[in-house]
Amino acid sequence: MPLKRHAIQWPWRGLLVVILLGLAASLWYATQRIHYEWRWERVPQYFAYRAEVSQDAPVAGRVSAVTPDGGVSRIAIAPESGGPLVTVTVEQARVKAGDAVAANAAVGVNFEWRVGPLTQGLWVTIWISFVSGFVGLAIGLITGLCRISKNPTLRGLAIMYIELIRGTPLLVQIFIFYFFIGTVLNLDRIVAGVGALALFVGAYTAEIIRAGIQSIAKGQTEAARSLGMSATQTMIYIVLPQAFKRVLPPLAGQFISLIKDSSLVSVIAITDLTKSGREIITSSFATFEIWFTVALLYLLVTAVLSQLLFWLERRFARSD
Amino acid sequence: MIEVKNLIKTFEGRGQVVRAVDDVSTQVAKGEVVVIIGPSGSGKSTFLRCLNGLEEFNDGQVIIDGIDLTESKTNLNAVRREVGMVFQHFNLFPHKTVLENVTLAQRVVRQRKPAEANERAMKLLTKVGIAEKANEYPSRLSGGQQQRVAIARALAMDPKVMLFDEPTSALDPEMVGEVLDVMKQLAREGMTMAVVTHEMGFAREVADRVMFMDAGRLLEDAPPAQFFTAPREPRAQAFLKQVL
Ligand SMILES: Nc1ncnc2c1ncn2[C@@H]1O[C@H](COP(=O)(O)OP(=O)(O)O)[C@@H](O)[C@H]1O
Ligand SMILES: [Mg+2]
Repeated sequence: MPLKRHAIQWPWRGLLVVILLGLAASLWYATQRIHYEWRWERVPQYFAYRAEVSQDAPVAGRVSAVTPDGGVSRIAIAPESGGPLVTVTVEQARVKAGDAVAANAAVGVNFEWRVGPLTQGLWVTIWISFVSGFVGLAIGLITGLCRISKNPTLRGLAIMYIELIRGTPLLVQIFIFYFFIGTVLNLDRIVAGVGALALFVGAYTAEIIRAGIQSIAKGQTEAARSLGMSATQTMIYIVLPQAFKRVLPPLAGQFISLIKDSSLVSVIAITDLTKSGREIITSSFATFEIWFTVALLYLLVTAVLSQLLFWLERRFARSD
Repeated sequence: MIEVKNLIKTFEGRGQVVRAVDDVSTQVAKGEVVVIIGPSGSGKSTFLRCLNGLEEFNDGQVIIDGIDLTESKTNLNAVRREVGMVFQHFNLFPHKTVLENVTLAQRVVRQRKPAEANERAMKLLTKVGIAEKANEYPSRLSGGQQQRVAIARALAMDPKVMLFDEPTSALDPEMVGEVLDVMKQLAREGMTMAVVTHEMGFAREVADRVMFMDAGRLLEDAPPAQFFTAPREPRAQAFLKQVL
């Protein structure tokens, strides 16, 4: 007799599909009711678009011929000062044969791919999160070590910092950092934003790292010390590597939160993904589409990061 | 090699003071093997841990190879590298392979070149009969194998003294022999050893002296033949009756 009963799965899967379809339908119905017109076709241009770059005539003269050649046009110009014909190749001619052209006057345009504001905002969000995460990790490591130090001064400072950051909202911290510390030290808004995020994530990381270090069995330290390793060597070679492996999951959660929390720096006019979204909406009127797209982009970044950390975790699991 | 004078170590907890090591004095000569026995909680581990400064003691003196641990200018790390220690629960570094476990301290403490450290490690792993597992992680090894690696790890520092704190107590019975064999070989090679153990056979066969501790006090210190046949102390007699 089988010990494990095989529960029938497909009705529940079916129910899941029905619920999802129901949600989609109600979303559609809701937008119908407010007569919202979806304009998804407006969204791609904010990722990348083809910009017109005008091409100038190198000399003053008269256009003698415009010959289409595949996707481009060749414009032959007879210079005023005489001499041989000068040829200019453009993607779209704006002159015809017989026109007079001045030197440095536009004769046609070329198209060039440009990065749109959504892509730019996404990039700002990614690098701000990355830099502040990295700095925050360093702050957290140092603070975590101070937190368990035997020295009362170091321990006191660490506890104060952690409590201060964890007891106040990030939004308020960003304002204080920008308007107060930023003004006093004359900081750039980017530096202020990254600094505020790093201090914020550092306090949480410190607690995670402290717990990780304290979770490593005392026997590990004793074995290392009995081999003649100093306290620092023991920390570097024995305790921290094991602690780091153990705290990787909560650390990953912290960094995924950081990516989302970084959207708050838009309040001090840093053009991250969120601020880009808000700016685009003022010109495109595609409010719903842009916010959905922005949400999807955040989701994409966090999903990639959590996959990356999952992979890292599995690599560390080799010694289990 | 080891000299202990009026060693006192107390623990304070929940309002009461435990005298874990109570005024112990003894000496261990070079090449001597002493076995320390006694009931659980009698201070054997604490005594051993005082010998390499893992435990700070309250009073008394510990002198290892002429170096006084209590003297303020003594570098404890420098003393510890001369004193190997083997623990009941092995305490191998789980994130390092067997080979790395044995080479790490050689490289960072003794500053040996990787090739030299590896060679020394492989020689010792061969000696304890576990060379073929050099690239495994400790979690893949049986308890007996892990304990033999731990012994090799301590030996890699070329210690002058080896301390064993119940090295076979956490092992399945069929693995006790392989670890004791390694220890017997070490004793034959002239290593100075202090061994806390409940293996009376080992004490009889290998020990030069047996020390009996109870409630932090060193009650009896005699050659095994004398200790096992005619213990002076009534408490030692009672203890032997229980374990033999
Ligand atoms: N870290 C500690 N804190 C408080 N008491 C301790 C500590 N370590 C040992 N003791 C106490 O010291 C006494 C001796 O312990 P121990 O040396 O471990 O004995 P043994 O190894 O002989 O079993 C026991 O009463 C034990 O409870
Ligand atoms: Mg013990």
